[in-house]
Amino acid sequence: MSDQRFPDAPRVDAQAKVRGEALFAADESRPEMAHAALAVATVGKGHVTAIDTGAASAVAGVRLVLTHQDLSALEQPGFLFAGGFGFQSIQAMSSPAVAYRGQPIALVAADTLEAAIEGASRVTATYAPESFNVLPDQAPAEDIVAQAESPLPREIFFDRTVGDADQTFAEAPVKVEAAFTSPPQHQNPMELLSTIAEWREGTLIIHEGTQGAESVRHGLARELGLDPDQVQVISPYLGGGFGQKNSLQMHTVLAAVAARRLGRPVKLVVPRMQVFHDASFRPRSRHRIRLGADRTGRMVAAIHESDSQTSRHDLFPTLHTDASGRLYGFGSFRGRERLVRTDVQTPGFMRGPWEHVACFAVESAVDELAYALDQDPVALRLANDTATDPLTRQPFSSRHVGECLRRGAERFGWSKRTMAPGSMRASDGSVIGWGVAIGTYPNSIVPEIARLRTTADGAVILRLGGHEMGQGLRTALAAILSRKLGIPPERVTVEIGDTRVAPQHLTAGSWGTASAIPAASAAADALLEALSKLGRGSPSGRTPGQILTAAGRDALEVEVRVKAPGQTDAVFGGLQSGHLAFAGPIFPGFTTFSFVAHFVEVRVEPGTRRVRVPRVVTIVDCGRVVSPRTAESQARGGVVWGIGATLREASEVEPRYGGFLNADLAEYVVPVNADIGSIEVEFIDEPDLEFNSVGVKGVGEVVITGVAPAIASAVHHATGRRVRDLPIRIEHLL
Amino acid sequence: MHSEREIPIRLRVNGRERDVDVDPRASLLDVLRERLGLTGAKKGCDHGQCGACTVHLEGRRVVSCLTLAVQVDGREVATIEGLASPSGELHPMQQAFIDHDALQCGYCTPGQIMSAVACVKEGHAGSLDQIREYMSGNLCRCGAYVGIVAAIQDAAARMKGG
Amino acid sequence: MQPFTYVRVRSAADAVRAVADGGPGTRFLAGGTTLLDLMKLGVETPARLVDVTGLEDLNTIETAGPGELVFGAMARMADVAADPRLIRDYPALSESLWRAASEQLRNMARVGPNLLQRTRCAYFRFGEPFACNKRKPGSGCAAQDGLNRGHALLGGSESCIAVYPGDWAIALVAFDAQVDVLGREGERTLPVEALHREPGNTPHLETTVAPEELILRIRIPRTPLGRASTYHKIRDRESYAFALSSAAVAVRMEEDTIGQARVAIGGLATRPWRCREAERTLAGRTLTPETARAAGDAALRGAKPTRDNRFRIELGARTVADALMIAAERARS
Repeated sequence: MSDQRFPDAPRVDAQAKVRGEALFAADESRPEMAHAALAVATVGKGHVTAIDTGAASAVAGVRLVLTHQDLSALEQPGFLFAGGFGFQSIQAMSSPAVAYRGQPIALVAADTLEAAIEGASRVTATYAPESFNVLPDQAPAEDIVAQAESPLPREIFFDRTVGDADQTFAEAPVKVEAAFTSPPQHQNPMELLSTIAEWREGTLIIHEGTQGAESVRHGLARELGLDPDQVQVISPYLGGGFGQKNSLQMHTVLAAVAARRLGRPVKLVVPRMQVFHDASFRPRSRHRIRLGADRTGRMVAAIHESDSQTSRHDLFPTLHTDASGRLYGFGSFRGRERLVRTDVQTPGFMRGPWEHVACFAVESAVDELAYALDQDPVALRLANDTATDPLTRQPFSSRHVGECLRRGAERFGWSKRTMAPGSMRASDGSVIGWGVAIGTYPNSIVPEIARLRTTADGAVILRLGGHEMGQGLRTALAAILSRKLGIPPERVTVEIGDTRVAPQHLTAGSWGTASAIPAASAAADALLEALSKLGRGSPSGRTPGQILTAAGRDALEVEVRVKAPGQTDAVFGGLQSGHLAFAGPIFPGFTTFSFVAHFVEVRVEPGTRRVRVPRVVTIVDCGRVVSPRTAESQARGGVVWGIGATLREASEVEPRYGGFLNADLAEYVVPVNADIGSIEVEFIDEPDLEFNSVGVKGVGEVVITGVAPAIASAVHHATGRRVRDLPIRIEHLL
Repeated sequence: MHSEREIPIRLRVNGRERDVDVDPRASLLDVLRERLGLTGAKKGCDHGQCGACTVHLEGRRVVSCLTLAVQVDGREVATIEGLASPSGELHPMQQAFIDHDALQCGYCTPGQIMSAVACVKEGHAGSLDQIREYMSGNLCRCGAYVGIVAAIQDAAARMKGG
Repeated sequence: MQPFTYVRVRSAADAVRAVADGGPGTRFLAGGTTLLDLMKLGVETPARLVDVTGLEDLNTIETAGPGELVFGAMARMADVAADPRLIRDYPALSESLWRAASEQLRNMARVGPNLLQRTRCAYFRFGEPFACNKRKPGSGCAAQDGLNRGHALLGGSESCIAVYPGDWAIALVAFDAQVDVLGREGERTLPVEALHREPGNTPHLETTVAPEELILRIRIPRTPLGRASTYHKIRDRESYAFALSSAAVAVRMEEDTIGQARVAIGGLATRPWRCREAERTLAGRTLTPETARAAGDAALRGAKPTRDNRFRIELGARTVADALMIAAERARS
């Protein structure tokens, strides 16, 4: 295969999307379809003592009302991190218990959406309330769980220790010690949680925008007591995932039960307000960072301790120190992570779940170190670069941090920076701040079973695991097949997100491309091999269609199985049963991470202290870039996410009532178009062939890591103020 | 026009008359999507806070989730499905969105494009800053704003040229 | 949403009659951007809607001629914002419109009904279980000891500290605008400044117009102050958000001295807040950052901070100060 870079090419589903022809789950319709709506609990914790559905049932058009009284036969789905399938272990409405405000307590199904919504609004319940706590900072000691001592898998979630970081820190001539916080935040993809549930001759068919069709399938089978072969989950497009749609949601089985009871398909679209409590979110976390350096700036010790919010019923683990421990060649390192139980729904993945916050904390501290040493922040980082993974002492399979920093500095004009805070001013009186930070994200691979079929007319169909949520997975797959098979990308059809075509491992953790691309490449190799056996003459210079025609064949199909370095074939069992089966970032003999450097300019208005971000330069090391256009959009999107996470977003916790107060898109502040200026992106585009055969690394999440500390450092450069609690707001700078 | 139950209305959607009986509570968005099979306009918030449901009502961009269908009786609606030419040729704005990759997941895209076409016709695409301001009523969680602004600048020039 | 009946009317008189005779629970429906939003939340539950958007004789914009500026109540926010004479002669009025909401919403919302926009307080909007005297009199005010970063510093009471979120009314109040309303007994006129009530102990009563009174038009006396004016709005993002603080200011400059000034603030009070004390501090003074800031401090005089909103006193003062400098710059050009 050619070693060349891949050319810019349009997104393969862009045509359908600009025409409004790409169908998302809620766009589907079925004959006789009923609409469903949920009623939710208004207490912070407790249980339902009585529920009155009479008024709901009396609404014209309402056909069914379900409460916990109807659903006690449901099995629990199990928590994804405890061998289960659900984003949390408890299934709403399977008992009268209310674990948090906003938990569903009833489902109303009706002929029309308006009737269903009216019905749901007429459900009334009384509760026996219990005391609850939603503030992790106020949790009692017994609610704080040391992750290393918890039931979480020891091989992944242990405390990281290299050398004696505490002693080394104590003796270090230059010390930085600081505490950082990140608030709860919500993914809020534009697409609402939507499910269409339909039963056809004993088979349950689910249309839902999900990142994990196989988990949804097996989770439903478990909950309903079905054979997984009786469940199909179809998710060709998601209107954004960002981790919210990682596993079995709470409402899916409710729609399925309603559909079975009614004998009609049921469409359930969860309204935006309910989404804040119906699915996972980024938990609040606190970080204490200690950095010790010698007087030349060599980082001899780093200690990272984090406390993160979890639910009462599940331990959502954290891997903060896995990321921070890889940033530099620390002489010694200690990472300790704790989880704090609160009365919320189980938090979960939100783009760069641990890495974004870990990098915010440690990279902000690195900027403080640069100032303590009076060293340029880029030079300090370059001096502490490393080719060796500090936590395992094995080499990184690839790491281009230095190149990211050098190219970014050049492109940004960093050499013009004057170090002193407030020393750079714009003509309108705004004070200018320039900040830099790096970010990192682990790379994993999940097993794939891929089927590639070609027909004599030249069409090629690829079926494998993956979920298209806008990252451009279909485009990248079409690009690799186009190159390998010598056909235009338009002749490639990619079927993913559908449990009928291939096992659908969760697409998250930026592992989608790194798993699917090499699998597609291997499938193409297998196809070319099979084609070469079909008749005389070399296959080169001929397309698969031409070879088939010459051999008098209609079609040819191959199947390949691809897994991560170090995995055994047992992983295919896990894949097919809907469980997590990823491996990484530690592989036999090497560790694989993606890296990024961000250079950010902020302008702080002199009077009212609004912070603008007119310019960002981002250099990304994500291995070979198979689809430059979609990768660039991912990178820009990651920067926008970083701006939102740093300057805009916070889910407001209501301690007296429970739950989140700002539960809509007006009050939960995401960036708008006018918040975004210039974002320049460049890729190193050097393949990491130790990691996989095509050399791709993950990009979707590394691009958000490092933005927050770059902005925070820029704000410090402008104002002299260190803001260590996100989001940075006007009141921090007045 | 008094009724407790459904009210018969006639909408002119993408140049075609559509007769439908609607619940007075039904939004234009829900009627387009659930009754008329026009699912291009999307529901992102249902409260006029995201712009994913943007359509044209008598040539003006509006959020269809806060428009009662009964208020649109006898009036002209344009949706994304009607933007390309009858032969299927893309509108310059649609082509520009492809060329500048002004989308990722595609969910906000129909609303963005309908909003963008109106933005240009309003005369609000004269500069990058003006485009950003006047397109801020369309949220994009994938963060495709840079591409969106570039696409609108590009298409605005073509649309002027006729 | 609760069911309702829907009727369109052909005249303002018919509209008033329909609401007056329709019994409680009959409401005017215009652009729907406030009412439908609150109906979906179950906060407003009208049984009957009287659609007044067809009243084309109220869809007028008169900015030419020597008399007052007159805006028919049914003129769209987008159209009034785009009026070239308004932009040139009263930029604060145009800005107070286009800095609100989004263009989609401004194409739907009308300038008369926009005055009656209701608070964005989450405890009010999101219903049960939140205590809210405005939504449910006597149930308490969850904001007093709650998350109140965005709540009112001025004009609040123990019953309610919900902010009036509108922008247009702020600029109107700065320019001494009047509204004509039609009721059962005929037309009457009142200053926009007299339209909104402070909550006191009746926060559920927000305005001084009766439910059946229909706003017909907004009239603004012409003033040369309009030219050097601005509506400055500070929010948590650059656009499509309500104000953390805002200021509608206008100045008549005589060289560097302020002949006369108008100051009104938004996002900070339970109703549009005209700041005559601030205006007095400015008249006859040289405009400097110090005198501008002093006016800002005067505008926020009497502010009562809560746990989370104290910073908005400082922010509000600076917003007024910056607005004055922007307006003065326009006097020079």
